[in-house]
Amino acid sequence: MSDYIIEMNHITKRFPGIVANDDVSIQVKKGEIYALLGENGAGKSTLMSMLFGMYEPDEGEIIIRGEKVKIQSPNHATKLNIGMVHQHFKLVSNYTIAENIILGMEPIKKTLGLFKSVDIKKANEDILALSRKFGLEVDPTKVIEQVNVSMQQRVEILKMLYREAEILIFDEPTAVLTPQEIEFLLEIIRSLRDDGKTIILITHKLEEIKKIADRCAILCRGKLIDVLDVATTDTKTMANLMVGREVSFTVDKPEPQYGKEVLRVEHLTVCNEDKYEVVKDVSFSVREGEIFVVAGVSGNGQIELADAIAGLIKPTRGTVTLNGADITSYSIRKRNLAGISYIPEDRHNVGLVMDFTLSDNLALKNYFEEPFSRKGVIKTDEFTTYGDKLIDKYDIRSSQGNDTIVRSMSGGNQQKAIIAREIELGSSLTIFVQPTRGLDIGAIENIHKQIIGERSKGKAILLISLELDEVMNLADTIGVIYNGEIQKIADARELTPSQVGEFMMGVGGRHEKE
Amino acid sequence: MKKNKNNIIHKLTLQTIGHEKRQQYMIPVFTIVLSLIFGLIVIALLGSNPFKAYYNLLQGSGLAPKASYAGHKGMITDFTSFLNALTPMLFAALAVLIALKAGLFNIGVSGQMLAAGFTATILIGYSDLPAVVAKPLAVLIGFAVGALAGALVGWLKHRFNINEVVSTIMFNYIFQYVISFLINTFYVDPVSRQSKNVGAAGRLTLVDVVIGDYKMDIPLGILLATVGIAVTAFLLNKTILGFEIKAVGSSTRAAEYAGIRVGRTRVLAMMLSGGFAGLSGVTYYMGYFASIQPKVLVSTGYDAIAVALLGNSSPIGIIFSSFLITVISKGSTYMNSASGVQAEIASAITGIILLFSACGAYVKYKVNRWKEDN
Repeated sequence: MSDYIIEMNHITKRFPGIVANDDVSIQVKKGEIYALLGENGAGKSTLMSMLFGMYEPDEGEIIIRGEKVKIQSPNHATKLNIGMVHQHFKLVSNYTIAENIILGMEPIKKTLGLFKSVDIKKANEDILALSRKFGLEVDPTKVIEQVNVSMQQRVEILKMLYREAEILIFDEPTAVLTPQEIEFLLEIIRSLRDDGKTIILITHKLEEIKKIADRCAILCRGKLIDVLDVATTDTKTMANLMVGREVSFTVDKPEPQYGKEVLRVEHLTVCNEDKYEVVKDVSFSVREGEIFVVAGVSGNGQIELADAIAGLIKPTRGTVTLNGADITSYSIRKRNLAGISYIPEDRHNVGLVMDFTLSDNLALKNYFEEPFSRKGVIKTDEFTTYGDKLIDKYDIRSSQGNDTIVRSMSGGNQQKAIIAREIELGSSLTIFVQPTRGLDIGAIENIHKQIIGERSKGKAILLISLELDEVMNLADTIGVIYNGEIQKIADARELTPSQVGEFMMGVGGRHEKE
Repeated sequence: MKKNKNNIIHKLTLQTIGHEKRQQYMIPVFTIVLSLIFGLIVIALLGSNPFKAYYNLLQGSGLAPKASYAGHKGMITDFTSFLNALTPMLFAALAVLIALKAGLFNIGVSGQMLAAGFTATILIGYSDLPAVVAKPLAVLIGFAVGALAGALVGWLKHRFNINEVVSTIMFNYIFQYVISFLINTFYVDPVSRQSKNVGAAGRLTLVDVVIGDYKMDIPLGILLATVGIAVTAFLLNKTILGFEIKAVGSSTRAAEYAGIRVGRTRVLAMMLSGGFAGLSGVTYYMGYFASIQPKVLVSTGYDAIAVALLGNSSPIGIIFSSFLITVISKGSTYMNSASGVQAEIASAITGIILLFSACGAYVKYKVNRWKEDN
């Protein structure tokens, strides 16, 4: 018997039009943290989906604990003690933590020896004990929608542990967490390893791999490039292997040259649908040539702030001034024309009409103006010409160019299309909300360059980001938002990443006060 | 063995409707063929010759020659009378189509037809205006009344967020009962128990026109319907309003983000939809028929939903689907007399076609799954 707990040999998986995994072989030892590194679409998730029974490989074999197996379903995988935390959590949001964890294998009691019911009391006790054992404290009776993202992730981890998983797969676990939460999660992963669990970590964040992984397999375009010993390899080498070319980590950003004030937000207060204040009395301003970053953990009001400036939500109080004109009462269209470009958080539902063609989407903000239309009649030729120009200039890749239905394009290219459209408007203010979310290093690099490019052109940039690296790399000025309030506004050079992280958690500045 | 058999079916289906680009035509064709096969089986089980019955449908619609004709009648007169029935269906399908493009379900086409048809009947149909004035006025009034009824639904949706499906169903009842009250009180013909016939001047179908040896009904509305289809196609593909309607229909949030006034666009789309329903109403009640039967809501408005879906929600597509559905319904009377197959069977086949066409998305999904598996 070999000393590997998992062996995936010569795995090939094809989807229509692409080979997601091309003859990939990996071997994982029991009790190690094994990282899978690669860009989006490199085939990491596909490979793990096969291990978790969601797909079957077209070719190749999977050997678990020395035995060749054909994993047919996630249930089957669970029986083999394999667990997976998906990138998008799979939880029932109006169930309690305990109910979510036991779902599918509930402890049953029989009243009067006849009527079966779920023994929720026992479940609560079991889960409390389990969570204490692994240092993942949760309150089993809390409802999922009332707890934050990092707590939800704990629930996902506990779900695996409750099912006695020995092999734990984490798909991009840190994408949604704050720096402090990431630290904590990495600590948990380490302690799980020390307990004898085998961990597979899917990620495209190099620092995390460097911190905790023992070995790292690099995938690029479906092929296994190399398996590296993390301790003896530097991150630069890993990055180059992953992208397949030289990558520059540091963003080349010239000294800021500020011009006149473009955007001024004063005492802005925004309520959500439940009349609850999600943005509270926020004031700041952005100048020409300045990148103002609103940093914060997801769900602290930053999306609503951006929506309110772009006109998608009406603020309850406060004013928004653009280039000296009060635009608080302007419609969305009028704001666009006055000089606001907006790259929204939700690419699929807001930023694009998914069933429209690429050229229609590229003209979505100016279809009503000349030369795109005249007297209410649309000039299709102009759409095509404009589309071709943007596709070329911004390197938007799709199967059928202008006529491609946007839904069928990859996430990175959808985002490129939105950014192309918004930048081409030539607005004086551009709002970017999490522009690089879910994109790979190559695409992120490209978007960062574009943001810097806009800044060099003297545009004002409002960037809303959850990624601390992005905040520190791009910001001229940082405003940290927590619970709807701006905690701190300061020149980026005056703040360290850990200080920003503390403000993001709402605990910043305490040392100063004491 | 069973597996093998399945594979043959799979392959066959994949070859016919597996091709992604042709799917938008092939899937409706596939559902129609399936429904017709179903109809064949049902008619055969009833003990009649199904192929003969289908041929009767074509004969009844003036698309195939009958064995004998009454005096002054022929294939051509059957065909113009078929066009007479087709006209309201085309307009009704356009009404459904425009609403669908804006993401709205206009269930109220029948009610809007009735409201428009009734208003035009009492204002123009019973007046003494000369034909040159009466006919265009009937059309205009029909469009205007329908448009108002539609716009009201759109406005209720925009202003109070009232689901258009609920409001149109309710308006159907309101129109149906209020108008039947008015007819029974003021306009009833004591013999036919329907509203009194409209005068020939206002009627949109020329009745018993003698051409050569034939006496035929000539539906003027069919020309208008042709123009309507062209206008709709142009509106949807070539105008700002069409672009906005489609954007609102496919993603309200993205449309709003793009600066489109969603409420206004919806009201306009419902106005156009109601307007076409109104045209359907006047060509039905003042063209195909000359009177209104109280307390009855015609099925045209409901059939039109399926016709629009079957026609792939495209203006050109609905020409074919309206044609097919009208052949089946129009030809059913002759099928009944010639083959003894109950006319209701025709409605059942229509129903099956519509049922299958509503499953179009599922069929597409299933076929594409097979394709991935192979």
